[in-house]
Amino acid sequence: MPASNPAENTTEVFVPMGKWAVAQAPTLIRTLLGSCVGVVLYDRVSRWGSVAHIVLPDSRGDAKLPGKYADTAIPAMLQDLDRALGRRSVPRLCAKLVGGASMFQSTSAAMNIGKQNHDAVERILAELGIPIIARDLGGEAGRRLTLDTASGIVSIRVPGGADHEI
Amino acid sequence: MNDSSLSDMQIRLLATIFERGAAAGSPALSRWIGRPVRMSVSSVELVELGELSGRLGPDDATVAVCSMSFAGRLDGMVLLVFHGDSGLALVDLLLRRPEGTTVEWSELERSAACETANIVGCAYLNALAAHLPRGSGESVETLIPSPPHFRHEFAGSLLEFALMEQALVLERVLLIESRFEAEGTKLDLTLLFAPSAEGLDALARLDPRDIGTI
Repeated sequence: MPASNPAENTTEVFVPMGKWAVAQAPTLIRTLLGSCVGVVLYDRVSRWGSVAHIVLPDSRGDAKLPGKYADTAIPAMLQDLDRALGRRSVPRLCAKLVGGASMFQSTSAAMNIGKQNHDAVERILAELGIPIIARDLGGEAGRRLTLDTASGIVSIRVPGGADHEI
Repeated sequence: MNDSSLSDMQIRLLATIFERGAAAGSPALSRWIGRPVRMSVSSVELVELGELSGRLGPDDATVAVCSMSFAGRLDGMVLLVFHGDSGLALVDLLLRRPEGTTVEWSELERSAACETANIVGCAYLNALAAHLPRGSGESVETLIPSPPHFRHEFAGSLLEFALMEQALVLERVLLIESRFEAEGTKLDLTLLFAPSAEGLDALARLDPRDIGTI
């Protein structure tokens, strides 16, 4: 649900787990990440951007929750951006990747899901020809991601830490 | 496995089992803290991934948390989440300090929080172990917890970490929450029980007919 920030006339949109959002400046798009990977797509000419909160790498044909999987979320983001721009969005897009942490020590393969998500997103974006211009991935802590659609800057905060930008 | 693997009856059964765990854990926690504390199960439900946001308060609020993994017939995570200053207030109680004395998490304070998580987590695990289905010839099941681990984390990220294994195979995840009431002190704590996907399979074998016998 978008929330207006009257002080700066900026709208904020929060992206829940397994969802995505598309918005134009002046909008801040936020999400909270743990093992999931946040995919940021941005067109700096039109200042439209999109953030997806991807949970798993592969839908295996399950189309019910497109935002949950890398192979369905990224096409869904592009479809929404194409519609918003009224043309094919891919040629002017660049990408940033955030998240994919592993909090708990475990032998379970599921605990490597952050790496699997990362690998899947890298492969899909490469196939689409969308350049990845920055990454902030791995580690053991969650991240708060904020895309400022006015600038394309992605601010990242970890618990107890200061913001840094990519 | 799909999100219908736990029936309403099984969820009721789980709630009953955890209420037993809360009943068993309350006196232990009261002795530990030195005043009456009541633990209660506030929620046992299947939640859509997209609906998890805000379940532990504001997603970007930093919370202190003690996490324990457990293994055995059932595996997963137990997390004791300290909201706001509640963890520090709890430490004041434990260390017999005037309320408001503790203002940061040093090694002693972290250790006190982890011991609290150990007491509470083991009460739930013991109650659950007593009701897990057994193979022929098996004695009472045991669930073996790891030592608690303290950290700070964003509330939203914490839920994601804890429930990721379930999210691998489920559209909805099982969320079991408990709350705490202490006489004369606000204890804003949440206990999260997050079985793995395999652990959920084990829970799905709980026999709803047992609901009348426990």
